[in-house]
Amino acid sequence: MAQVFNRRTNTIVRLGIFVGVPVILALLTATWWYYTRSDWVRDVGVAHAKVQPAGNIPGAGGYSHQLHVGGLKLDCRYCHTGVEISSNANIPPTETCMGCHAQILPKSTKLEYIRNSYEKDEPVQWNKVNDLPKFVYFNHSIHVAKGVGCSTCHGNIASMAVVYKTEALYMSWCLNCHRAPEKFLRPQSEIFNTAWTPPADQIAQGLKLKKDLNIRTSSQLTNCSICHR
Amino acid sequence: MSKETLDIQTNSGRGYWRSLDDLAQSSEFQARLEREFPSEAAELRDPVTRRSFLKLMGASMALSTLAGCQFAIKQPQEVIVPYVRQPEQVIPGRSLYYATSMTVQGFGIGLLAESHEGRPTKVEGNPDHGASLGGSDAWIQASILTMYDPDRSQQVLNAGKPSTWADAAAALAAAAKSAGNGIRILSEPNASPSLGAAIAALTSTYAGTKWVQYDPISGDNAVDGATQALGAATNVVYAFN
Repeated sequence: MAQVFNRRTNTIVRLGIFVGVPVILALLTATWWYYTRSDWVRDVGVAHAKVQPAGNIPGAGGYSHQLHVGGLKLDCRYCHTGVEISSNANIPPTETCMGCHAQILPKSTKLEYIRNSYEKDEPVQWNKVNDLPKFVYFNHSIHVAKGVGCSTCHGNIASMAVVYKTEALYMSWCLNCHRAPEKFLRPQSEIFNTAWTPPADQIAQGLKLKKDLNIRTSSQLTNCSICHR
Repeated sequence: MSKETLDIQTNSGRGYWRSLDDLAQSSEFQARLEREFPSEAAELRDPVTRRSFLKLMGASMALSTLAGCQFAIKQPQEVIVPYVRQPEQVIPGRSLYYATSMTVQGFGIGLLAESHEGRPTKVEGNPDHGASLGGSDAWIQASILTMYDPDRSQQVLNAGKPSTWADAAAALAAAAKSAGNGIRILSEPNASPSLGAAIAALTSTYAGTKWVQYDPISGDNAVDGATQALGAATNVVYAFN
């Protein structure tokens, strides 16, 4: 009786088992990672997708943090007034813009949407950049009060013409800091410094800050109900 | 002895049968044979019977639930809508508490309402109010839902149809001047001095006007009883010593 399979079949089967199966598994894993865990799926670093303000208002000049924070050195809290006292670092009302722009560039066409909003009493809508899921409780005031600076999560805002995400905001990323806050804490004077970089002895400084600011232990900080209430 | 039993005993027809009904050639069995389909089968072809209605409703509800899901790979883009002129004391993300009151059976109950950017979310008794000291009851707790009740009257209605305040004022003025009995105001019991003064002013201007206060669950009988017993309209406060 003739052989059903010839000699080469062994090689093909071995290749299938030792190369084909791992390749398929790797492809599946990569696809899963790309669509659920990657920076791409969370729009990290994507500035062009978030046209500001929302609604494609023709001629609207948007808002440049690079100009206002980087160039003019405005403090974060001049506009985001709630950041130290509320869960919400609020987007400023149109009135805040008009506080300066009633005098500065009062005829600029790029600012027409601001003047329209103020005159017609219709809010300017802004595309949300950092959008946490609704089942996550996040409070800005506690983070700012306990030595977590703006740029730890938001990046160097002063260098951004259009604000983009610098972190994907995955839960594992939150836990990095909740497990070991000393790696990220900074002194109170540096909280609103958008260009802050950790010093060489960050761990020692961080541990001291952790003690001084009465920051809870990592087991308390990683309790589910700290963020999922 | 029934007809079927008699038939079985006396039958001398074919020697095989599938059931006692078949053997007896009962009228029910004959009817079922002739109908070919069971009686409920007709509903399957009729589009508006209860059964198919439930089937369609079930399917459409399941589908509408699915429509609520996001099948997008990325998060949907949300917008932030700030104030144009942020009211004083309002801080987005923090609640404000307002002392207020609610009329229950004619009497104002002192309350504290929690508000998030202008939307009331919780009502509790006002701890500074002498009568309740912060206490509340089921009615007060549930009253927050009336704020969002879709049946809550949103505008002026005339005989159930939308109207305007101008039309209402014109109609009231015409009624007040007509030769009839004048205006009747029907309301829930209300002890508000401001409302009372306003209605008193109306009553003195238009003599025929009457204010009728009605509460389906009122304490009127108890007050009437106290009036008979004590000679004056009195709320009885029991002292259990």
